[in-house]
Amino acid sequence: MSTEQSAIAKIWNWRITAFCALILLVVTIAAVSFGPISINFFKVFKTLFDLPGGSTGQDRTVILQLRLPRVILGALVGAALATSGAVYQTVFHNPLADPYLLGAASGAGLGATIALTSTHHNLYGALPIFAFVGGVLAVMTSFIISGKFFADPNSLLLSGIAVGSFATAIQTYLQQRHSAALRPVYSWILGDLTSASWSVVAWSSIYIAIALFILFNVAKQLDGLMLSDEEAYSLGINPKRLRIIAVAAATLATATAVSASGLIGFVGIVVPHLVRGLTHRVTNRSLITISMAGAAFLVLADLGARTLLSPAELPIGVITAFVGAPFFLFVLRNRRKLVQ
Amino acid sequence: MSIVITDLTLRYGQKVVLDDISLEIVGQRWTCLVGPNGAGKTSFLRALLGMAPYTGSIKDGGIEVFQNHKRNVAFVPQHPQIPQGMSVAEYVMLGRSKREGWGNESLASRSYVRKVLEETYLFGMQGNLVSQLSGGEMQRALIARALAQEPELILLDEPTSALDLHHQISVLNNIELLKEEGVTIISTMHDITLAAMFAEQIVIMKEGRVLLTGSSQDVIHSTELKQAFDNRIDVHTLDSGRPVIVASKREREEK
Repeated sequence: MSTEQSAIAKIWNWRITAFCALILLVVTIAAVSFGPISINFFKVFKTLFDLPGGSTGQDRTVILQLRLPRVILGALVGAALATSGAVYQTVFHNPLADPYLLGAASGAGLGATIALTSTHHNLYGALPIFAFVGGVLAVMTSFIISGKFFADPNSLLLSGIAVGSFATAIQTYLQQRHSAALRPVYSWILGDLTSASWSVVAWSSIYIAIALFILFNVAKQLDGLMLSDEEAYSLGINPKRLRIIAVAAATLATATAVSASGLIGFVGIVVPHLVRGLTHRVTNRSLITISMAGAAFLVLADLGARTLLSPAELPIGVITAFVGAPFFLFVLRNRRKLVQ
Repeated sequence: MSIVITDLTLRYGQKVVLDDISLEIVGQRWTCLVGPNGAGKTSFLRALLGMAPYTGSIKDGGIEVFQNHKRNVAFVPQHPQIPQGMSVAEYVMLGRSKREGWGNESLASRSYVRKVLEETYLFGMQGNLVSQLSGGEMQRALIARALAQEPELILLDEPTSALDLHHQISVLNNIELLKEEGVTIISTMHDITLAAMFAEQIVIMKEGRVLLTGSSQDVIHSTELKQAFDNRIDVHTLDSGRPVIVASKREREEK
């Protein structure tokens, strides 16, 4: 009869996931509480959960109509980018892969630039659609050009870089031709959550939820993609099919995130490495933890973006890089010590 | 249960890598493919895995291999993709996925993995990263993952190529134990002396074709074996009766 003494220790520890969920909850309530108008933390909690003693009047409007949609959008975008980054890193065997690798960012950037430089001003409202279509089209072009359709991940990666460069070239040309659009395009490239509203939350949450649902479902099998195709096949997975599913879902999440909030860099690389570094686990079962950590990270970054120079706002991309880069270097530097 | 191969042909583009092969691989025995580089040994294993599209048939228990997704086949590659940041325990646990489902960490599974780690002398190293293992330790980790799979069929591509003599024998003994559990073993091996020591059936291949199949005693002293290596090997017999195959003197002088 097997006992714990005659077995190796469990690899995955759900307490880490629970801890991340708690952090996300606390960060969410804090982000709704703080801003140009500070609202008591417990009042926010009661308002969010519709308990007696919650805020009323203007505070209630600030919480439910201004801050909450922004915080939720930040959480959705953070979860989408962090999860997609982790998936891309696994699929391409590349620790530096980020969600924008296959041209999603450049394609979305081109789509947004077309909307912003259009002589038809009413296209500005359709910017998210342009960005979404641009991102998806760029990734699909990378797929088609790579030819082997996932037989070789490296050929897809290289075609993604080529498509991205091409889209960026067109984007730069358009910007030069319409210098008045330089500022809004630049602002969009740095990313922001100021356009958050319940309608943006509604449509983006649908796509991101579908993508994350798919990725969480295949998360455990993604570990097989860390091996060669022959090894993965012998372990019972079809690596080519799984790569297509994983990259398609990750691209859907990334394109939605980009179209809702612009280009927010660093989340897709930093958060997966942070979670893996701190938990000492590389297994893709940590995807759900990575998504919650990504959500908490971006909500916190957005809180910094709107409060550090209040009432002015910093682009959120500046905060993610400013905070993320040193923290990331700290974790890399201390990883060996942490593992021991 | 035997694996029956009939008129197997495999092409990579225009290049024929396996040319009209027909043979029977006896179940619950060790079959070793030998031959010079480019003979098609690894391609043969890929076809057996069901990964390379072929013509002809490879039937395992009457079912075509690429259609039988329930088959539990373990594969030990010559050049594995080594996952960065993965511990030995995680790596070997992957072997349980086909039998127990991905991510399952039942007590029975973890006990089995511990037993396998002990058998392959890796117990105590389960927290180490696979990317930091030596060549020999990595080879044992690969074997451990294959053993954790409790396979019906195990395919090994040059399982001893990265090992010193002591570990070669140790790994081959581990593999041999599988026969007692009813596992069919198919391997490629450059070292024909070791192949003759452990395998019951030897298949001599050259340029995508099978030159001869038979028991190690029959094959080792055959002219086909010399022919496969362009007569550049010599077969000696030790006093114990054990054959030893070495590069011929002419070959050594040329080198």
